[in-house]
Amino acid sequence: MNAVLKINGTEKTFDDGLPPTLSALLSKLQIDAATVVAEIDGEIIERKNFAQTELKDQMGIELIRFVGGG
Amino acid sequence: MTPHTFYELKNAVVGIAGLGGLGSNVAVALTRLRIGKLILTDFDIIEESNLNRQNYFSDQVGQHKVEMSLENLRRINPEADLEGHKVRLTPEKIPQVFKDCHVVAECFDRADQKQMLVETVLSKMKQAVVVSVSGLAGYGRSNEIRTRRISERLILVGDTVSGTGPGVPLTAPRVGIAAYHQANAITEVLINELHTKLL
Repeated sequence: MNAVLKINGTEKTFDDGLPPTLSALLSKLQIDAATVVAEIDGEIIERKNFAQTELKDQMGIELIRFVGGG
Repeated sequence: MTPHTFYELKNAVVGIAGLGGLGSNVAVALTRLRIGKLILTDFDIIEESNLNRQNYFSDQVGQHKVEMSLENLRRINPEADLEGHKVRLTPEKIPQVFKDCHVVAECFDRADQKQMLVETVLSKMKQAVVVSVSGLAGYGRSNEIRTRRISERLILVGDTVSGTGPGVPLTAPRVGIAAYHQANAITEVLINELHTKLL
């Protein structure tokens, strides 16, 4: 069954099932967890909890990625 | 003529995390606006290489950024209410140092430090809005630097992609654009959204 996540406002369909956790999603998207802040349905998820945070169909995920410079 | 002052800002408290290219310039803009109080933090000293974009002067090289920012800002307004902390911010210290802040400005250089500050303000502080910056390296492309509202308590400035690296330096004009976007977003959120809490 297809599953959908809304990532940064855009719907993304996963034909072969959702990544089980937020960590798995970041790996799939090749995003370094050390430089991303994540919110799920408006709630901040701390980085230390990424591996335990389970993903469900239709979740709204904001991934805010930081690049260096200031 | 007396310059306009915003009564809404009189009781506002803003924290500035890092006093480099972003923070030293954000602090200048907010001091000129006569913001209620600024809490300035940095652990570092001024180096020659900072003078290409940071609001310090050549005779201040070797001094602490916190002390020299206090000195420079008091030259703009001797009455400014300023608090300086020579501290390396950690998830434990951030809620203590910025306890009374309505807004915290994320003005770090390193991506992982930006992440740490934003995550800590959003998860450990219940009220404060955080205004952060990602993507300001290089020159030109002024209009690619934007201010976005990510969520109720997070505002993000920058083009989101231009990190520093070999051949992509930080320059005064583009860092300055980002810093003034940041100061303008802070002003807007204080006047339009938070002023009822500040009276």
